[in-house]
Amino acid sequence: MAQIELKDVRKSYGATDVIHGISLEIEQGEFVVFVGPSGCGKSTLLRMIAGLEEISDGDLEIGGKRMNDEEPSDRGVAMVFQSYALYPHMSVADNMSFGLRMTGRPKDEIAEKVSRAASILQLEELLARKPAQLSGGQRQRVAIGRAIVRNPDVFLFDEPLSNLDAELRVQMRVEIAKLHNTLANTMIYVTHDQTEAMTLADRIVVLRAGIVEQVGTPLELYENPDNAFVAGFIGSPRMNFARAKVTGPRAIEVAGVAIALPDLATELATGTEVSFGIRPEHLHAETGVELPITVDVAEQLGSTTYVHGTLATGEVVIAERRGTAPRPRDTVLLHFDPRHARLFDADGMRIR
Amino acid sequence: MATAGKKEKRVLWIISIPMAILALSCVYPVYFALNNALKDNRGYILDRFGLVQNPTFDNFVQAWTRSNLDTYFLNSVVTTVGAVALLLVVSSLAGFALAVLRFPMRRLIFIVILASLMIPVQVVLVPFYQTIIGLGLLNTRTGLIISYTAFFLPFSVYLMTSFYAGLPRELVEAARIDGAKLIQVWWYVMVPMGRPALITLGILNTLYCWNDVLISLLVLQDQRTLMVGIAALRGEYTTNVPLLSAGIVLAAAPIVILYIIFQRQIVSGIAVGAVKG
Repeated sequence: MAQIELKDVRKSYGATDVIHGISLEIEQGEFVVFVGPSGCGKSTLLRMIAGLEEISDGDLEIGGKRMNDEEPSDRGVAMVFQSYALYPHMSVADNMSFGLRMTGRPKDEIAEKVSRAASILQLEELLARKPAQLSGGQRQRVAIGRAIVRNPDVFLFDEPLSNLDAELRVQMRVEIAKLHNTLANTMIYVTHDQTEAMTLADRIVVLRAGIVEQVGTPLELYENPDNAFVAGFIGSPRMNFARAKVTGPRAIEVAGVAIALPDLATELATGTEVSFGIRPEHLHAETGVELPITVDVAEQLGSTTYVHGTLATGEVVIAERRGTAPRPRDTVLLHFDPRHARLFDADGMRIR
Repeated sequence: MATAGKKEKRVLWIISIPMAILALSCVYPVYFALNNALKDNRGYILDRFGLVQNPTFDNFVQAWTRSNLDTYFLNSVVTTVGAVALLLVVSSLAGFALAVLRFPMRRLIFIVILASLMIPVQVVLVPFYQTIIGLGLLNTRTGLIISYTAFFLPFSVYLMTSFYAGLPRELVEAARIDGAKLIQVWWYVMVPMGRPALITLGILNTLYCWNDVLISLLVLQDQRTLMVGIAALRGEYTTNVPLLSAGIVLAAAPIVILYIIFQRQIVSGIAVGAVKG
């Protein structure tokens, strides 16, 4: 049985619908990431699970029990906020033990749980300090510690790494992944950063404008996106898109280049327009279909180079290259395996 | 550069003249009261503005004992402390509710409180007096405490509401998820976080209550508070100015001491109120 179940859950503020009926099942111990651009409703959905936002319609079940009208503290969840939300007037130890003190746990139990959480998060040295005396990463660890001590069934993370600098973000990401391996609790994590989603998640839920676009494992979403939005959102740099003309049941033409797609199950209607997508990392094959581009800029990152160029039609393409970087205004022939091409219809839906 | 420096200096001088006059006008009454409090009546009549020749503390003793200022002082302390404590508790609770909780007619209630800020005490004196009589609170300290609380509450609630509205919402949400009841959120999170605003309110309300004459004159007619007592030291035809001065010094002393202790918090607190409000 699923630990968390959303059944056609909706949220509206007055006449404005924000969440348009989401159904989702989350298994015990799963790490689920809600990802999407800002304003897609991912944080609202998380806050509805936490009990900080009312559910306008539909049912939320946690552990088989309907939780729509339960207090946040009765849902067995703990939450880590983007702004850390540490109490500035309390020490680290008091911050971490706050929840246990409020529910009247015995003192020795509190001390034991705080010291265990502090050792997991390497916070032992900092227990007497106030939040103002801590760095951003340490504050976030305290916020996570505050969640751990309560031993919740479900951890909720609301963009916990957004306030950290790039290096610290990578470090904390690894720590959160380790934490999930150690604790094995169910975790729901909200982010707009697809890299965080890809690296942390067992399953990713891609949201757009209050609707679930696709649910799946990171690799499923990467390899097999249901629509152009998911294809463009997952993967960095994002997938290249170009207009394509259908020239046969399994053949298209992109910027004057004929591409045969023998693996396509659907028979295309000759003469229609479709959207052709290919990822930058699939454009550095030695052989395959040749696609000429004019180089605009080459970004050298050390191990790889991202070549920004334009097709004959003027559409922008990014390609990953190894070795020497081409110079601006050079014409480069990109090669790719047509099995990596993805097609989308006029509505952005995948043609398989 | 040199001329610019000269010009700047001249401007500074021009600015400092009215500032100095302003400062003098504040300091002079203090000097006048202190100086004359130490004179006897004869000394005062012979030389009103000169520096005291034979300082004496008789006026303080006389004011304190024979003019009943000791009783009035106690009345002032009890009513001020009581009212300020009540004001802080009620305004902090109300500010928490209005700024953080969601309930029907929240905005309307806040607007009504704001509107009541604009009604001067004098306008409601008659119904207020009738209410005090009706409740049997005339000539009781409790009556005066409740009256002060009622009159100074709108501003206090307004200040606390705007202060709490400026605090991050996540703090309350985190506490709710952590299992804190509403009253625990208030006590463990909102009260400590609201400390700067509460100190400002404490000081301002202490000043208002301590210095009040009008409300006290109406409610505590038999007993009097310090300010009313001092006002009564003025005779209809003659006034013993040294005695009055001694009374004024005695009345001002607690507030000055309080100000010196909380000087830093008062300034930062007023700034906090200004920015958030």
